[in-house]
Amino acid sequence: MTSSSSRYLPLRALGELSETRYWMYLLLLPSLVMILLVIAYPTLYGMAISFRDMRLTRPGLDGWVGFKHYAGMWSDPVFWIALKNTVVWVTAAIVLELALGLLAATALNRDLPGTKIFAVLILLPYFLPNVVAGHMWALLLDPRLGVINDLLVRVGVLETYKAWFADPNTALAATVLVEAWHGFPFFALLLLAGLKSIPEDLYRAAAVDGAGVSAQLRLITLPMLKTVIAAAVILRVIGLVNSPDLLLILTGGGPGDATQVLSLYAFQTAYKEFNFGYASALSVVMFVILMIFAAAYIRLSRITKGEGDD
Amino acid sequence: MIESKRRRRTVANIATYFVLAGLSMFCIGPMIWMLLTSLKYEADIVTQTMQYIPRRVTFDNYVAIWTQSGFPRLIGNSITVTFLTVTICVATGTLAAYAFSRFAFRGRTQLMLGYLVVRMFPAVMMIIPLYVVMRGVGLVDSRFGLALAYTSFLLPLFVWMLKGFFDSAPRELESAARIDGSTRLGAMVRIVMPLARNGLVASSVFIAIAAWNEFLFALMLTTGQGSRTWPVGLQLMVGEFQLPWGVLAAGGILSILPVVVLFAIVQRTMVQGLTAGAIKG
Repeated sequence: MTSSSSRYLPLRALGELSETRYWMYLLLLPSLVMILLVIAYPTLYGMAISFRDMRLTRPGLDGWVGFKHYAGMWSDPVFWIALKNTVVWVTAAIVLELALGLLAATALNRDLPGTKIFAVLILLPYFLPNVVAGHMWALLLDPRLGVINDLLVRVGVLETYKAWFADPNTALAATVLVEAWHGFPFFALLLLAGLKSIPEDLYRAAAVDGAGVSAQLRLITLPMLKTVIAAAVILRVIGLVNSPDLLLILTGGGPGDATQVLSLYAFQTAYKEFNFGYASALSVVMFVILMIFAAAYIRLSRITKGEGDD
Repeated sequence: MIESKRRRRTVANIATYFVLAGLSMFCIGPMIWMLLTSLKYEADIVTQTMQYIPRRVTFDNYVAIWTQSGFPRLIGNSITVTFLTVTICVATGTLAAYAFSRFAFRGRTQLMLGYLVVRMFPAVMMIIPLYVVMRGVGLVDSRFGLALAYTSFLLPLFVWMLKGFFDSAPRELESAARIDGSTRLGAMVRIVMPLARNGLVASSVFIAIAAWNEFLFALMLTTGQGSRTWPVGLQLMVGEFQLPWGVLAAGGILSILPVVVLFAIVQRTMVQGLTAGAIKG
């Protein structure tokens, strides 16, 4: 009896506290503390590291070096290769994923009987871990026992089995394929939701006016989907630029530097060489480039949207 | 005229099924192949002529990954880290999502935007300072430390997703409870939480899957058996022991099993939560 009433007392006090005008700030406090602790502080600290020499292998080395790392990047050939590869890799993956996503979303949106199960199957890859996705595709494309090689030889496209990830000419394309498999469901998901929000009446009215399938796609679907596409593309670009996981598992940046991208280069500089200063500088530069791109992209997509409204 | 229209529709329907079947095959074909590989003897995997349907089936690979490596230990660590991550996110994020959804206050827009922008921070940019800071306070190679690190990118995501679910829970019942003398706290716990229960479960599952799958933070922040999660462990096994394909495939199947099951259960609500933000924005 006494224990239950003593337990109730703090609850009642909390209930009364919830009536004050500071209640919402109290609700926000725990998550804000967490975010300041695990995001804001480390971020600022990381930016500071990029102006310092910090190598865990040489503990004595720990001084401020100003812009040394940033200047070093300018004359680092790997940085420029990684930058170029990042642009090529992200662009190729986005184009492929958008095309596949649009195809999937249009097909699913027709709501034919039985398509619900297809929707579940098509979404599944997005939720699978990179480690498993990477090794699964490494097995499929293996130069000795890969089933894709076997199929391509049987069909007659290939003469012999090909080492997709070891050939500098095909390595980047092969990783784009794996990334597209992993990422296109995300586009399918968002585009399908976008398609569902377009009123049926628009299509009916267009059909009455004699607009064919392609005209409907050009005049109704794509303009109505513009916002969703813009949002999906920017989210996916951020995701692709920031995560080196799949490339780390599939190629480690090789052969040579054929699949080296900025995020992977930064990670390996920290993880393999323990050169935290240079790695931090690389990731800061990557972040700044991404921010500039995001700002420009959002402004551009707003402008075109504005023209569409007129 | 009508006849040709009907014919055209039939053709379109067939084409639709064709596209859907092709895309589904592209999506789950690799997984089926991995499952088949995991059930083959190693001699049947490394053959001159490819075996599409295994001639004999074995569970040796599953036995091997479970008994001859530290796999159970890795899975145990992953379960702990996932559980801790979800606990931290639910405990702190639910309150924040509720505040964002129900109250107008100064700085609300800026704060919500802030929660969105931190998602843009590159993982690499976070990993390095987190490693240095956590080494300083003894949280490297700790399951709790890794869960804290996961919070850095999963908490903002959780708050945004859950806010959407709170937004779609009707306010009328809440107002009625308030008129009947319930405190704000009482209304939140007794009325809104039960209404948004499915959303809370779906958001939690989404966070859980992401924490379970995560590789990069875990690779950097775990150094020993004590805290290593399965993605890192599996990756290191491939590198160090030249893991046979069949055993690797078995490990892959085992580790995606919980993901597939959870996804199948809550996919509808989860999809709704994932798309809500992008459609409105």
